[in-house]
Amino acid sequence: MLETVLGFFRENDFWLEFLITVIKIIVVFGICAQIPPFMVWFERRAPAFMQRRKGPNRVGLFGFRLFGLIQPLADTIKLIFKEEVVPTGAHKFFYHIAPVFSLFTSLMVAAAIPFGPPLVILGRTITLSVVNLDVGFLFIFALSSLGVYGITLAGYSSNNKYSLMGALRAAAQMISYEIPLGLSLIPIVIIFGTLDLNSIVVAQANVWDWGIFRAPISFFLFVIAMFAETNRAPFDLAESEAELVAGFHTEYNSFKFSLFYFGEYVSMFVLSCLASICFFGGWQTGFISQNDLTSLLFGIQPLAVLVGVLMTFLKASFFMWLFVWVRWTLPRFRYDQLMNLGWKFMMPIGLFNIVLTAVIAGAIAFK
Amino acid sequence: MGEWIAFGALAGTIIMCALFVVLGRNPVGCAIALVIKLFALAGMYGVIGADFLAAIQVIIYAGAIMVLFTFVIMLLNVPPDSRSRWDRPPVEFLMVGLSVLALFGVGIYLIFGAFAGEGVEVLTRSLVTEQGGNTLMIGRLLFSKYVWPFELASILILMAIIASIVIAKKYNTEES
Amino acid sequence: MNPYLPVLMFLVFGVTIGLILSAISYFVGPQGKKNSIKSEPYECGVPMAGVAQEKFSVKFYLTAILFILFDIETVFLYVWARTFGELGWFGVVEIFVFLVILLAGYIYVLRRGALEWN
Repeated sequence: MLETVLGFFRENDFWLEFLITVIKIIVVFGICAQIPPFMVWFERRAPAFMQRRKGPNRVGLFGFRLFGLIQPLADTIKLIFKEEVVPTGAHKFFYHIAPVFSLFTSLMVAAAIPFGPPLVILGRTITLSVVNLDVGFLFIFALSSLGVYGITLAGYSSNNKYSLMGALRAAAQMISYEIPLGLSLIPIVIIFGTLDLNSIVVAQANVWDWGIFRAPISFFLFVIAMFAETNRAPFDLAESEAELVAGFHTEYNSFKFSLFYFGEYVSMFVLSCLASICFFGGWQTGFISQNDLTSLLFGIQPLAVLVGVLMTFLKASFFMWLFVWVRWTLPRFRYDQLMNLGWKFMMPIGLFNIVLTAVIAGAIAFK
Repeated sequence: MGEWIAFGALAGTIIMCALFVVLGRNPVGCAIALVIKLFALAGMYGVIGADFLAAIQVIIYAGAIMVLFTFVIMLLNVPPDSRSRWDRPPVEFLMVGLSVLALFGVGIYLIFGAFAGEGVEVLTRSLVTEQGGNTLMIGRLLFSKYVWPFELASILILMAIIASIVIAKKYNTEES
Repeated sequence: MNPYLPVLMFLVFGVTIGLILSAISYFVGPQGKKNSIKSEPYECGVPMAGVAQEKFSVKFYLTAILFILFDIETVFLYVWARTFGELGWFGVVEIFVFLVILLAGYIYVLRRGALEWN
């Protein structure tokens, strides 16, 4: 039986690739699904410690409290079993579809991210990203552009004027910061000469080749734009608790409400991974090359891949922690300050950065 | 064979969404159907190997232009169409039918007539990859052979910026 | 294998999971009575005043249009940045002309106050 299965796969390369892709999709989705519960927990414990209190630590499972890590599970279960009240006059189809839109655009970005170095197993090289496009950056940019629709539809379909205004303002904010986001990554394309994320990571083998040393202004712009794109503090006017009731998800309850947060945390995670890929070397350790690492680890290539994956998560966690830290430290921007920052401050700096990088890179490359 | 399945599925989606855009009642629904149609069209470009074009289609058309449409529809509170879609003078149906047939005819002529001769280089995905990828190939052409259209495009964008501000300001002063 | 096949697979997977999750609470939660007060849109406890749509504000329209135009510019910049290595200084000059023209447009926008939000 096993022989026929293996024989079948050896014959049809296509189905083997298909199976590998299915496994990759499940793994990537599994990773992305663990991030929101963990972040919900972290988002409550970390500010607690910052504010000299303890945060949730009571919920226990079988007598083990685990620093309150069970809390998100309890919250999720409670939310699932709450009644879902659809407001009168709400547009039924869009009301149910909007959170799905939000979720799936964030998830699809995770498809293009290389989580580790290529795994060489049984003579087969498997890249650790679900999709291997040579226009990786544009793919990510495209899917971020679609993220606007989830919010807009949510606000529109709720038949609540506060939701609609909140949604339109959030959407205007997101599109205003997409341009600085795009502009800040262009120097990276100039420096590394490619749009493919895998190649960008491979080129950062030495820690002094990392993006942050070669394009610091880009890093600065990208981090700010990253905060604004995910509607995170200090740019979270659209979903702030004190203004506009609760913005575009006022009329959402039960699990759909948490689906929006799911999408937001996943998009935070993938943008963090993108930041670590472009500026911090992705899965590279920075001082050991992949070959040296493999020989250091008894020649077992999967272990070197594991180290690479751990490096990616380490760097992405740094950015996630940065998200939480900034949220609970800085006050919120007023909406007009926010828009002014995007259009009048970040865009000129982004363009100037591109010209500067072009001149410097040109001087290095063309003399 | 897989390509034919993909083509069939995508073409079906495109046609259904396009019909919904034209015949649908709720304007926001039509806008979202158009977004999905553009996404499917991008998938079609991807199937034939035009990665760059697929990405651009989503970034600019589905991600920017349709956002504008959606904003305007939502802000203007366009009410759903109340009368029946078929309640139109018959000559409109005739004109639509004739123009669709004409477009079909042009398309078939282009596919089997003008572009089918020898001397047309068919770009397969492997050919594109060995030349450096889609974006590189387009860039090579755009900045050497077609540099004048490129610069003229920037002037076109400038004109669009100025025009949109003039129109919006006119509306603003009319309002206040 | 076409590189877009994994995209399609992921898309189908993501949408399916999203729909399942979205439907979970609808079916699992208690089906309360459709109380008219409960289902009313929330306005701090006051009955809903006015229709759910606000007056048109032209700022959103302007922001969206300017976003389209600068998005197109960004796409051109991506193409240029990818072919940077092959174009040499001539390419830098080309993109400089492009950026200067668009900078003129940007300055016009700033001077006309189209990006003022209050």
